[in-house]
Amino acid sequence: MIRTVGLGKSFGQPVLRGLDLVVPKGTLYGLIGPGASGKSVVLKLLAGLVRPDVGQIFIEGQDTTKMGELALQKVRAGIGFQFQNNALFDYLNVGDNIAFPLRRLTSAGADEIRQRVAERLARVSLPGFEPRMPGGLSGGQRKRVGIARATITQSPLVLFDEPAAGLDPVTSRKIFDLIRDEQRATGATAVVVSSDLDNLLATVDRVGMILRGALVFDGTPDEARAATSPAVRQFVHGLTEGPL
Amino acid sequence: MSTDARASLPRAPLGADADAHATPPSDGGEGGEQAPPAAKPRGILASIGRTGLDGLGGVRDLYSIFVRTLYYVFRGRRAKGALAEQMYAIGNKSLFFVTFTMGCIGMIMVYQATMQTKKVVPELSLVGASYMQLVVRDFAASIGAMMLATRVGAGIAAEIGSMVVTEQVDALRMCAADPVDYLVVPRFLASLVMTVALLVWAGVVMFSTGMLTGYVVYDIELATFANPVMVNAGDVVVGLAKCVAYGAAIPIVSAHSGLTTFGGSEGVGWATTRAVVNSSLAVIVLNFFISTAGLMAFPPVK
Repeated sequence: MIRTVGLGKSFGQPVLRGLDLVVPKGTLYGLIGPGASGKSVVLKLLAGLVRPDVGQIFIEGQDTTKMGELALQKVRAGIGFQFQNNALFDYLNVGDNIAFPLRRLTSAGADEIRQRVAERLARVSLPGFEPRMPGGLSGGQRKRVGIARATITQSPLVLFDEPAAGLDPVTSRKIFDLIRDEQRATGATAVVVSSDLDNLLATVDRVGMILRGALVFDGTPDEARAATSPAVRQFVHGLTEGPL
Repeated sequence: MSTDARASLPRAPLGADADAHATPPSDGGEGGEQAPPAAKPRGILASIGRTGLDGLGGVRDLYSIFVRTLYYVFRGRRAKGALAEQMYAIGNKSLFFVTFTMGCIGMIMVYQATMQTKKVVPELSLVGASYMQLVVRDFAASIGAMMLATRVGAGIAAEIGSMVVTEQVDALRMCAADPVDYLVVPRFLASLVMTVALLVWAGVVMFSTGMLTGYVVYDIELATFANPVMVNAGDVVVGLAKCVAYGAAIPIVSAHSGLTTFGGSEGVGWATTRAVVNSSLAVIVLNFFISTAGLMAFPPVK
């Protein structure tokens, strides 16, 4: 389970102001909110890539805010992260990019790694892409490689930052299906930040909305659609009239 | 992460929490009333204090990277071929640049120095011996290192800085790869070896072109010029110590600039500039300390 208590973070201007979030174990959780509301910052805080100014983060009962960098490395070993800009290593080919976490975090042999990379690539509909360089891929292909890398170690916690940003509707739908299938297959806890609300709400088990640095809604997608809070209703239904 | 929050550029300390130290918004808001005159000195003092604290933070971060680099030199996990790749990038690819610039500088130095010497003493037989001592003890290492700081330092900062802004460094950290271990250590080791080799070569080139200049312009015999009478073991030790120190300092200072990059491509530009300026400063400061220590330990032959 993931729990944050009174999480605060500022980059000159406050971004998060006392965020309390609970993601039950094995849940596919969607995080929504207007642009620059701090959704991606939450993911980076959960991964220990950024430290909070105030508050606590509990991952499986461990307070990661009190950990040093070495202890955090161990926590991160159990987290898969798909970055908003994919963050593929541009000097490695697709196969080596996907194999990178396996080589660093496991003792898998070369054959096993090759096999698992091929399986991952087939899973994201990019079979045989191992020798290609990231620079030669389209936006959607890069996204899928990023997802393959984030999920190859089958971590108990996977964080997806805008997995469908900039993709066409069909590819976007496929990406969300893939995320859901993966999560169902592994039973992992997954947090997905996305602005593609239609696909997100059709995919996740629960959804939370961040507004002005705090969680203003937490519930099921149906509850989100039926929310009476003006801000949540406006955002979920994409209305132009409202407090946002 | 929103890049808007990072829009104000100059610098942030290194580490997991680099983002937390983004430059705060300036006090003078747009369209607001003018600050009373009495507030000005306080603003200047605050600015000086902030600059001082930033400087201290930078030194602490540099020290932290250096210590972690030394730790990972012995305890780190090196990717296959990474060291050879960096040695090629730092050493082989700098060879022409170093040879050309140091050759030119050697010619100019001997031409100018001999012209000045002739005004004072007509006898030029010790010009070569004196020049050799200067090249061995200081010039080859220090001038060569300044040249390398521009090429190698900028390259390291740009490479690491662009990895930072594209979140590749965060991706490394998610795979239990400490950026210092994965990115800095291969560059540090490669620079240590290749800088020493390049600077020794720079000395040879510098002296040779100087010798040719002396022969062609001032009729100084080659054998007279290549006179090692003024060079002793102390000069060689001091010269080599400088080569090693510069070889260690340039990648550390440049990697620090790269790792503290933020703000997109503009930030990478800033990081590259900072790397060149700070590496050159590091060379000058190290030169001062090593030269002073060298003068005390090995006084030059008079």
